[in-house]
Amino acid sequence: MQRIPIKLAAAGMKLAKEAATPEGQVLCGAGTELTEDLILRLSKQGVLVLTVEGHPVRLPGEKPLSQRLKELAARFEPVGDDPVLKALKNLIAEYWIVQEKGEEYLRELKGRAGK
Amino acid sequence: MTRLSKEEIRQRLKEVQSLPTLPPIVGRLNEMVADEDVTAVKLGKVIEKDQVLTSKLLKMVNSSFFGFPQRIGTVSNALVLLGFNVIKTLIVTSSIFEVMQASDVGLFEHSLGCATAAGILARRAGIKNPEEVSTAGLIHDLGKIVVRAELPEIYQQIIDQAQKEARSMRQEEKEILGLGHGEIGAMVARQWNLPERLVIPVEYHHRPDRSPDFKEVSACVHFADILIRAVGFGYGGDPWVPPLDHQAWGLIKFSRSEMKEILEELDEKLLELQDFTLNLKPQDEAQP
Repeated sequence: MQRIPIKLAAAGMKLAKEAATPEGQVLCGAGTELTEDLILRLSKQGVLVLTVEGHPVRLPGEKPLSQRLKELAARFEPVGDDPVLKALKNLIAEYWIVQEKGEEYLRELKGRAGK
Repeated sequence: MTRLSKEEIRQRLKEVQSLPTLPPIVGRLNEMVADEDVTAVKLGKVIEKDQVLTSKLLKMVNSSFFGFPQRIGTVSNALVLLGFNVIKTLIVTSSIFEVMQASDVGLFEHSLGCATAAGILARRAGIKNPEEVSTAGLIHDLGKIVVRAELPEIYQQIIDQAQKEARSMRQEEKEILGLGHGEIGAMVARQWNLPERLVIPVEYHHRPDRSPDFKEVSACVHFADILIRAVGFGYGGDPWVPPLDHQAWGLIKFSRSEMKEILEELDEKLLELQDFTLNLKPQDEAQP
């Protein structure tokens, strides 16, 4: 799931959340596949951002997942022995992995780590 | 190494010259609130005379960290929904956040992020007036802003030392100043007559177990600070996740599945917050 400015939306992307104007008016439901026409219509209605499935766009300044995970581990280094914080770190890592690569990928990853 | 005594620091901070002065409206509002007959409409009318302040205030109250589903259009409406403590704190700190936004975007984002996380945690922990908890989160690092403005050379020394030694800013503050940013922030907030429900969490956000009152609020701000640093939103002066106070955690404790939901909610709100910080750019400020 990724939130992107409407100008970066492209036909074929699927809405993960309903499309709404900044005032909260919902124009289109989750699951809708975007078309060029639909993007233009939503844009004309004042929609600025869309939440789409997967992670189709690399936004400027956005770090790749591997780097984000590395930095996450580094931030937790001084408190790495705390069981609650360790669980929090793992939960964040899993959340990011699922966000970008999907549940299936995380299951495979866990399966490989278990072997 | 420069070592100022607590007294010298207190003195410097009492004479704090480098931060913008409090808007005169604060004194007038305090007087009005002391009057039992005052209504939100009357208070709102006084605030709304200052259009720039009104515009800033409405932007803040409509930001995602308070999370109201509907737009708040008037100051009296904001007063009813958020309460006087929150509105007063936003007025008192509005100029400071403006300075911070220009000089330290990382800390500004960290503060907004902490406010967002604190509000989410407070709602889930069932704490009354979660907007006050958000506001306490917003100002939790006030002490850093004050030291940066008033003692810039010492602030730089703290940052450099923290980086060099790979230690937290708080550890270096204790070493160099003799007291941490929590205590400094609380000292200044008390000078501004901000309510104790907001001052105490600022003072004890690193040691919520010592919080003499409002323990759950302090616990929420403490964990919100940890959470927002953990996800890497903004920059609080050093990159480290602070140690968890387990006594405080025991007061609000969330299960794994609740934490997962909290992360999702936080993620969604942080994305909205990014839109909000973009909208706060100076050129977008109020029309005279």
